[in-house]
Amino acid sequence: MMARRVSGAGTASRAAGERLVAHVLLACTVVAVVTLAAVLAVLVREAGMFFADVSPWRFLTEITWAPAAAESRFGVLPLLVGTAQIGVGAAVFALPAGLMTAVYLHQYAGSRTARLLSGVTALMAGVPTVVYGLFALHFVTPALRVLWPGVEAFNALSACLVVGLMILPTVTVLSREALDSVPAPLLDAGLALGAPKGRVVTRVLLPAASGGILAAVLIAMARAVGETMIVSLAAGNEARLTWSPFEGLQTLSAFLTQLGMGDAATGTREFQAFFAVGAVLFVGTYGIHMAGRMLVSRSVGRAGQ
Amino acid sequence: MTRHKRRRDPVGAACRVAALAVLSGFLVFTAYLGFAASRGVGIDVLRGASSGAVDGAGMGPALAGTLWLLLLTAVLALPIGIGTAIYLEEYAPRTRVTAVIESVAANLAGVPSVIYGIVGLALFVRALGMGPTILAGGCTLAVLALPGVIVTSRTAIRRVPEGLRLAAYGLGATRWQVVRNQILPAAGSGIVAGCCAAFTRTAGAAAPLLVLGTATFMSFAPQTPAHPLTSLPTQIFTWATRSQEEFAALAAGAAIMLLLLLLIMNLISALVVRRLSGAAR
Repeated sequence: MMARRVSGAGTASRAAGERLVAHVLLACTVVAVVTLAAVLAVLVREAGMFFADVSPWRFLTEITWAPAAAESRFGVLPLLVGTAQIGVGAAVFALPAGLMTAVYLHQYAGSRTARLLSGVTALMAGVPTVVYGLFALHFVTPALRVLWPGVEAFNALSACLVVGLMILPTVTVLSREALDSVPAPLLDAGLALGAPKGRVVTRVLLPAASGGILAAVLIAMARAVGETMIVSLAAGNEARLTWSPFEGLQTLSAFLTQLGMGDAATGTREFQAFFAVGAVLFVGTYGIHMAGRMLVSRSVGRAGQ
Repeated sequence: MTRHKRRRDPVGAACRVAALAVLSGFLVFTAYLGFAASRGVGIDVLRGASSGAVDGAGMGPALAGTLWLLLLTAVLALPIGIGTAIYLEEYAPRTRVTAVIESVAANLAGVPSVIYGIVGLALFVRALGMGPTILAGGCTLAVLALPGVIVTSRTAIRRVPEGLRLAAYGLGATRWQVVRNQILPAAGSGIVAGCCAAFTRTAGAAAPLLVLGTATFMSFAPQTPAHPLTSLPTQIFTWATRSQEEFAALAAGAAIMLLLLLLIMNLISALVVRRLSGAAR
């Protein structure tokens, strides 16, 4: 603001240029905000029309999901249970392995090993999920069927394993950031008291980083729950209520891909059902992600004190 | 620490085993891709036209489609995303509104890509009448990339030391002069690295494009954005769902092609980042 008062040739045109740039940048912001608001508006509008037709209570309690059938049924439970199964299953594999790898990188690895492992983790994080899906369908599933002949061609176990592999880099990188934010003197104090390294890790390092680690877990879970390609390739696309990991299932996200395969016309209840499911998935992943981010900022704030 | 003590550390041993398991998981994955693709050697992979037993088996059109999509996404999402980040950080007063925009953008970056697909279908393909074209795909991917571009650019701009800003303003620089001469050079490497990460996610996205409706058979490369939608990730999906061995090999070949493309993109970005951070010093 002060700069405008400097007199000299070109001041007026420079001030005009300044204003133009400010307007262009404001226009960018308006376009971005309107675009993202439009995404939310479409989701809310179509889902709203669906719930005007089908009561949310029936949506959440009925146990049959058959939106395209002549006698259409809209009980979302099979999809919710399927999604939870994939999320929990992937977490069982990925969380311990990812967290322990982070501890290994932080405490035990030599600098060369750490660099190699970090590089591998970064590469894994960049692999598109459809490639993981190919791996799940054409390698992991046949391997599982050799081990247990009872495993179906489309099964939840294969999807869980590979979704776990997919979220591993997220868990490792974010937990390592949490571990790095623990002040080194805290660990040194533990070692100076004569505690063995393993004890310092479990009693000092992990508790001190617990907020950040929980955040890493939540952000990774949001990814697992929303994972689409691995699940629709490996777990099949049949909505059924089952707890067996050897059988196929459908998740919220995998169901959404069916919109591209079918020919649900705009305005039909079948079309709107996709947006109702999309809204459920949106609220779930958005909420988990938000909780994770709040934990990150809180734990970073505390470590900085 | 001596060898003797290390061996008696069960936590350390467990962590070592976990790290080894992670590494071997990745090795198995890589080995599978290489092995599966090697069985497809001999199939003329870049051709689009029918060829023998595996009809329509070529990834040329899909590769061209992905390049088109990347170009469209970059043209649409980068200026708007980076412009928004600059405006929010350097121009807008810090209010509740900017705080909300920031938090919403950060969380939208974590929303599954398939949701952008169904919205893109309703909005671009149907309401705006684009049909399942490359243009509709590019618009959808641009919306998908936008939150990530905004968030990473803002983070990079915020990391610029406050002293640099204050010194430049103190010397009488105008707001845009500060942004152009101080902020962008200092934040450039972070912006490029962040945008590259957002683009890696976008370039590999298959789910939103599948929802828009992709052409599963394409005999020639798309020439304009008005062409039917095709891309490497969706082609991999289509081939992966086929039962014949040849298609699995083709899918693995296309996967390696996609990974190479992403690797080249990231290498270029790393070079630019190095050049920029050298220039800022």
